[in-house]
Amino acid sequence: MVIKHKNIFETESCWSNADKQMLCLDTGGWRTERPVLDQTKCNYCGLCCLYCPPQCMLDKGDHYEANLAFCKGCGICAHECPRGALTMVPEGEFGNEG
Amino acid sequence: MKAKTVKPRVMTGNGAAAYAAMLCRPEVVASYPITPQTEVVEQLSAFKADGVLDAEMVEVEGENSAMNIVCAASIAGARVFTATSSYGLVYMYDTLLQTAGFRAPVVMVNVNRETPGIQAVSAGQQDMISTRDSGWIQIIVENDQEIIDQIIMAYRIAEDFNIQLPIMVNYDGYYLSYLAEAVQIPDQTDVDAFLAPLKKQPQRPRLVPGEARGCGTHGMEMGYVEARYKHCMALDRVKNHVDKIDKEFGEYFGRSYGGQIEEYKCADADIVIVASGSAAGTARTVIDSKRAEGLKVGLVKLRLFRPFPEERLAQALKGKKAIGVIDRSVSFGWKTGPMCTEIKSLCSKIGPVPILSYIDGLANLDINIPHIGRVIDEVAVAAKGKPYQEVTWIPMEEER
Ligand code: SF4
Ligand code: SF4
Repeated sequence: MVIKHKNIFETESCWSNADKQMLCLDTGGWRTERPVLDQTKCNYCGLCCLYCPPQCMLDKGDHYEANLAFCKGCGICAHECPRGALTMVPEGEFGNEG
Repeated sequence: MKAKTVKPRVMTGNGAAAYAAMLCRPEVVASYPITPQTEVVEQLSAFKADGVLDAEMVEVEGENSAMNIVCAASIAGARVFTATSSYGLVYMYDTLLQTAGFRAPVVMVNVNRETPGIQAVSAGQQDMISTRDSGWIQIIVENDQEIIDQIIMAYRIAEDFNIQLPIMVNYDGYYLSYLAEAVQIPDQTDVDAFLAPLKKQPQRPRLVPGEARGCGTHGMEMGYVEARYKHCMALDRVKNHVDKIDKEFGEYFGRSYGGQIEEYKCADADIVIVASGSAAGTARTVIDSKRAEGLKVGLVKLRLFRPFPEERLAQALKGKKAIGVIDRSVSFGWKTGPMCTEIKSLCSKIGPVPILSYIDGLANLDINIPHIGRVIDEVAVAAKGKPYQEVTWIPMEEER
């Protein structure tokens, strides 16, 4: 057998070192909808951030914002928000900016 | 031999396993009691209470947690130990696969017992067989002394920098777990010396608080393929490594077991019987008496089951006129027993000789002297080119 593959992992086991290269699941690529915030309703309680499964919510000082590189669009944040401040909007409405 | 001579002590297989584990100085132990393994957990807890075992003992609510804990501790760099059996083994199935995938060098004792489905509180190798494709190293031992020696060797295999794989040391429940035999418990300094070479190896990757490292969460596409490929290659390296460590153990402690397989009177044998676990001991005496009657028969004791000792088996079985394989478990979906099915895959290397499958010793039934005698007689007939029965469930052909 001729191996052409160049190893992704430096180690025998599948370890990666984020200081060099972080290997991770491309959860952002799974997204079909994204959470959009109505900041007038948000009171910065942080529940959306606590519940987010990939933990991709960024603390913006007075509100939270999904990091779209990792947001998988599951909608849990919108479901958990007690103030109805988050709405899931289909990706098709955003073009290619994300 | 370099090891100190020690006075033999009488203890059960479970007690022996706990002693061996203690001597290897595990740093984290998590284990849930289950028949017929319970005594291992009790004894380790007693060692801890007596202050002779300096390990973090985590009390768990089940086997799934036990495996998660030892896997995580191992990834954090600790030496770990756990023990289970049957229902416990299958209750940790997902974490079993995870531990292997993470390449965490966990050492686990599995006291062989039949599996769920028919409430089987009895001996059999079905639990081990049901997890044969979990990516673990699986090794089967025959008596209480071999339990001790193999657990000590297990750390040299699992934690070797070139291997980094979890290992399951299997012994027959009931037969060995509760059997009290005279054993030699090696001196602590000798175990320390035997395990010392591991300290000279490069450090395997480990979780360090504050350092941005991760393991196992990124096995997508080529990451997955690469990890699997490396895992399979590592398993392949295990084979020679088991032989090497067994030899080294023999030189140090004066006891060795043949490594992947033990060949007993095989060299000039016309026919060979393959057996494993406690049944191999019985088989050896039957081989001797058949030899006394003039029959050239040998025994292969299968020790390493995962990875499968393809090359060593082919070497031992090549040129034999017929082979009989005794399985203490079944392979759902195949007529022949699991070990027999796998030995049949060696046909391209050993030739199209009759390979007879025997299912025996399920659910605490004995694989006794008459049974093995019958196997040898039938294999001898098949070796003469006469017709034979491919699969025999020995207890089903007996009137009780
Ligand atoms: S849960 Fe709702 S209200 Fe609370 S911080 Fe998140 S968006 Fe704002
Ligand atoms: S949609 Fe899911 S992944 Fe995205 S921010 Fe909300 S909870 Fe997190």
